[in-house]
Amino acid sequence: MSVLKAARELGIVFFPAFDWAISPTHPERQERLLYTLDQLKEEGVFDIPGIREYKPEVAGEGDVDRVHFCFPETSGVVSPSHLVSAGGAIRAGRLVMEKKAAKAFALVRPPGHHAMKCVHGARGFCNINIEAVMIERLREEYGPLRVAIVDTDCHHGDGTQDIYWNDPDTLFISLHQDGRTLYPGTGFAHELGGPGALGATVNVPLPPGTSDEGFLYVAEHLIRPLLDDFKPDLVVNSAGQDNHFSDPITDMAFSAQGYAKLTEILDADLAVLEGGYSIQGALPYVNLGIVLSMAGLDYSHVREPGFEPSRVRQGSAVTDYIRRQCVDIRKLVKNPPPRQRSGEMVGEWFVRRKTLYYDTDHITEYQTESVLVCPDCPGVLKIESESSRTPLCLGVQIPIRACPRCRSEGERVFTEGAKSGRYAVSRLIDRAGKRYERVGGVAVG
Amino acid sequence: MLLGIDVGGTHTDAVLIGRQGIVAMAKIKTDHDNLLVSIRDALESIVSVAGPEGVSRLNLSTTLSTNAIVEGDTEPVGMFVSGGPGIDPVLYRVGDHYFTAAGCIDHRGEETGALDESAVVQGMAACREAGVSVFAAVSKFSTRNPDHENRIKELVHPLADYVAMGHDFSGRLGFGRRINTAYFNSAVWRLYNRFVDAVQQSVLSMGLRPRINVLKADGGAMPLSMSRHLPIQSILSGPAASVMGIIAICDIREDAVILDIGGTTTDMAVFAGSAPLVEREGIAISGRPTLVRALRVKSIGVGGDSAIQITPQGVTVGPKRLGPPMAFGGAHPTLVDALNVQNVIAYGNVAASFAGMAALAEGSGLDPETLADYAIAAAVNKIREEVAGFVREINDRPVYTIYEMLEGRKVAPAKVYVMGGPALALSALLQDAFSQEVVVPENFAVANAVGAALARPTFSVELFADTARGRMVVPSLGLSREVGRDYDLAAAEADALALLREHVRYLGAEDDEAPVETVERSSFNMVDDSTFLGRNIRVVCQVRPGVLPQYREAVTCPC
Ligand SMILES: [Zn+2]
Ligand SMILES: [Zn+2]
Ligand SMILES: [Zn+2]
Repeated sequence: MSVLKAARELGIVFFPAFDWAISPTHPERQERLLYTLDQLKEEGVFDIPGIREYKPEVAGEGDVDRVHFCFPETSGVVSPSHLVSAGGAIRAGRLVMEKKAAKAFALVRPPGHHAMKCVHGARGFCNINIEAVMIERLREEYGPLRVAIVDTDCHHGDGTQDIYWNDPDTLFISLHQDGRTLYPGTGFAHELGGPGALGATVNVPLPPGTSDEGFLYVAEHLIRPLLDDFKPDLVVNSAGQDNHFSDPITDMAFSAQGYAKLTEILDADLAVLEGGYSIQGALPYVNLGIVLSMAGLDYSHVREPGFEPSRVRQGSAVTDYIRRQCVDIRKLVKNPPPRQRSGEMVGEWFVRRKTLYYDTDHITEYQTESVLVCPDCPGVLKIESESSRTPLCLGVQIPIRACPRCRSEGERVFTEGAKSGRYAVSRLIDRAGKRYERVGGVAVG
Repeated sequence: MLLGIDVGGTHTDAVLIGRQGIVAMAKIKTDHDNLLVSIRDALESIVSVAGPEGVSRLNLSTTLSTNAIVEGDTEPVGMFVSGGPGIDPVLYRVGDHYFTAAGCIDHRGEETGALDESAVVQGMAACREAGVSVFAAVSKFSTRNPDHENRIKELVHPLADYVAMGHDFSGRLGFGRRINTAYFNSAVWRLYNRFVDAVQQSVLSMGLRPRINVLKADGGAMPLSMSRHLPIQSILSGPAASVMGIIAICDIREDAVILDIGGTTTDMAVFAGSAPLVEREGIAISGRPTLVRALRVKSIGVGGDSAIQITPQGVTVGPKRLGPPMAFGGAHPTLVDALNVQNVIAYGNVAASFAGMAALAEGSGLDPETLADYAIAAAVNKIREEVAGFVREINDRPVYTIYEMLEGRKVAPAKVYVMGGPALALSALLQDAFSQEVVVPENFAVANAVGAALARPTFSVELFADTARGRMVVPSLGLSREVGRDYDLAAAEADALALLREHVRYLGAEDDEAPVETVERSSFNMVDDSTFLGRNIRVVCQVRPGVLPQYREAVTCPC
């Protein structure tokens, strides 16, 4: 009999979308997971007892409307490919929730972590946030869950951060190449979450050239303790692979071995593929490393061609900087500064104004986000948004744990907004009452 | 006329089929320790009826290789493996003479680490010492570039009576499967060839001059000469022969489930899209996955000999077998006994069935008839559930394009064909349980031999081309050649189809007997830094398992 056997059951939802690309030479093209599939098949990963491959489900527009305010309409911003990749994440989540697997990896594309609460088009190759669509579906089906998301993509997970900015029940940690040197230019240590969820957003910007040593230091000395303190029901890893030393669009020095070790330290229940564009030299090996690590198998023989630790080792200045960062961030998260830089109080509402650029679709969005600062619950969220394509729209969200006052306040804001004639489209996400509404188009009264 | 012989575990069945129908049949008890005797007896029995002249083709399905592996009656193999980085190749160890050598070929077929020939030479010394004389060479991604396997073969050649190379068996990926396939192939190589020598001699001595083919696990045939190099392809062909037989007898054309109710299990197969479904990767032998193509068959732990038990959850049937039915001298009541008690059948000693059922029912508050009723219902329900689960599993198989995800064809069986001993007895009950029409074909008792006789050759060709490297390979044909930068998917598909047609002719089939088709075709633009480098092309063409059309009508009966 085979000596190979997974130490724990791992479900892999593999969906390479071989017939989908942003454009023929775009990094998000048909070829992206081709060599990963070759490697996984050749290694016989799906033959290892305890590892099983699953087909994605197809998410519905309802799954998107539970998370996002899509303007002017949902069907205009999501395509079948996004519904399949989000459905892949959902299937992975379900495998773990239903205990069909101890861990699951949604190895799917297109990615999603740059998609924000409001969606007018595609940003950073993403239209809808597949992790958020998955998590909210799980919360809808299995009840309220404390969820921690660790985003290990090289780019700041600004979309996921935006979606969970005001949610104290979701811990979002992103480590990424410093925003001063890479898209999307955000994710600084002082970004800590909205007034009702301070410290539930954690950003760890890392200097270009950070290698295994730096990543693993952050994982062990900062992320692991934060996860232990938060006591999540579910840990989700947004597993971007563009920190690899061979990635063409970033400047980091992480390795396949490093990714496998990082996976072991994070010990996430779910991993969802995000970016990673060194499709020949890195992805086949990084994905193999992550898969073996999640299944509790030996990954010490995984090594990408041309890897020489000495050539990619980070300098001592980088090491020192990262150590100091970890101390500072831990302090910030424990004792966030009371005065928020991101916005201002207007009555009981905390208001921030944002201008967002959709690089993939060339759209600019102007947004006013208001959250009702409530002592009893995470508070009602109200977003007014207009873009270079769509006139002013309204989004209102009543959180799952909304108090009675916030429930009625949320309904009032939505109903009055929809009647006012000021908004081209008004949307309600009422998680407490499981009501999802859209009042569209023509002005009323 | 076509002669089919299926050497099974208990019986050896033979059928001679002419254009007008079945000419002769024979059923002989298999001599487990001397399969050749069983084949000779079957041949003699057919020849005594029909004479030797008219037999133009003999198709043989045999358990020889299967038995040898299951019983450990195999030869030691010197196994040389070069793995490169990834899963530690030591973990794929098989047999007592397993040697790994450094060396690496990547997914594009590029050598990224040279083969450590000294490790091979060292392993050879150990093999010489141990008297090993059959070998297998396998390297990772050898289907993209077989250089390392070829080199290992060159090195061990002086010691070897036979060397199998991993890429000979299939162009599909799967390092561990390739290792197991090559290993088992070498392990039965000598035994199989001796057996085949003897079969050939017997056939000739009886005055027969047929072309001889051997059945494969995918329900296809291969020429005897080819099977000499690839004996592992002859493994587990029996269940496939039965399925092919039912397909011929019932002239199945729509999606259907085929159930073969045996002693300990009920085997199910699915017919869809005008062919039986084939395993996605390959069959497992002795618990080890291989690249041997096989019909997708699943066993349900319910058969005529399955034990009936009363548990806190209710009456169950199987998966345990506690000996034969009481009607045939067993000690514990089985499904056959329940059918006896309910008067559905009258097999063997019916009184013994009654006595056994009564003894089991005692103290349970059930009378023997009710217990028998519950048992039959439990068996039928189990079969129905497992069939539904199997179809669900088939429709849930992973796909890799948005198109297949959204538009992919779903298997939806319209009929359930039932064969095997208790088939007739259970058919009415099964009909109550299934929404599909349940059919019991008339000639199912010799379906396996009919399937063997009428099986057409099957083969598949996997072509891989990388125009940036300027290379095209077809591993299973040992073909590797240069291609230009303008080589594209259309050219690759045309090449694959032409190569397959040529090979099928070599296998002895006419074009109309064995139609070729493309089952996979993809071409990916390889881009680096927004620059087009070339195309990565994959084409798979095959001849699907099927029955020879000219003879199909001869055996088809109204089902
Ligand atoms: Zn990140
Ligand atoms: Zn990224
Ligand atoms: Zn409240």
